[in-house]
Amino acid sequence: MKLHRYQRQMLLKELGMRGQQSLSTKHAVVIGSGGLGSHSASILARMGVGYLTLVDDDTVDITNLHRTAVFSEKDVGKPKARILQQKLRNVNRDCEVRAVKRKVTKATILPLVQNADIIVDGTDSLPLRFLINDTAVKQNIPWVYAGVQGTIGMVMGIVPNTTPCLACVSQMISQQTMRTLPVLGSLPGIIASLQCNEIIKILLGKPPAGLLIVDGWRPCCDCIDVQKNPVCPVCGGVTIRKSRQRIH
Amino acid sequence: MKITVRVLGRYKDLTGAEHIALDVGQDRTLRAVVNTFVQQYSAAAKDTKNMIVLKNKKYSSFDTSFTTNDEITLVPPVVSGG
Repeated sequence: MKLHRYQRQMLLKELGMRGQQSLSTKHAVVIGSGGLGSHSASILARMGVGYLTLVDDDTVDITNLHRTAVFSEKDVGKPKARILQQKLRNVNRDCEVRAVKRKVTKATILPLVQNADIIVDGTDSLPLRFLINDTAVKQNIPWVYAGVQGTIGMVMGIVPNTTPCLACVSQMISQQTMRTLPVLGSLPGIIASLQCNEIIKILLGKPPAGLLIVDGWRPCCDCIDVQKNPVCPVCGGVTIRKSRQRIH
Repeated sequence: MKITVRVLGRYKDLTGAEHIALDVGQDRTLRAVVNTFVQQYSAAAKDTKNMIVLKNKKYSSFDTSFTTNDEITLVPPVVSGG
């Protein structure tokens, strides 16, 4: 690994050379390669995370382009994960990037995430986020929720056994889902950047910030120091394995 | 009973302030706080079931009781787009 490219980042006391070397050994599984996921994967590759798995079963649509800095018009109609993989290989050849064109479901999620050091939320569905949350808590894998809607974005780093999980702050899922949600084009970049900060902190063993709520239009940011819900249906009162379960 | 509630996210736009006063009547459950809030700010009515309600920074069910010493925060539901 060529550390020179990270020179400016290694000057930070928060990382240093040791932190940078540690990042190069980490594996992040990015679920979703749209507005959020493509930004986050790009940032993580640039910051020096060593291994990325990109999971998405969708193709690039012209309506994606207003909120991503990675895809272009010539990518329309092509598989998002595969195109993103190709772009990231040009960004950082030291980062090993794998693309998986697969729908994430209850039946498919475990093999996708079982070797992850962290799961990155780039999805656009709340039920899928709850599936990630459930799996991450059970498998003791940290994950970072991120969502955008309108001008508002939210981020929350979740470390099983340590922090509240997504179900600690949102137990109910609305059955009504709008087909097309409004999103300010610049917002996924802002939220993905904050999401990546939480990812890097967690990968380096630092505590995440809590629930971040960002209004990209006003602009303002709130950080809520939420606590675990003792009666949380996912993590409340459950003894979770201290060591990660690997399935071979 | 009159209480002061903290609101976050787009609720600040809705109310024009981070701290608002609500008269929740005699009911001392968080459900009364939510119901009073959505009555006063009807644009939040669609959030009723999914609103995040924190009592002293802790996610709490609508049936949780509170006193005037508790810090109550209303947060819009987690956003789902990507």
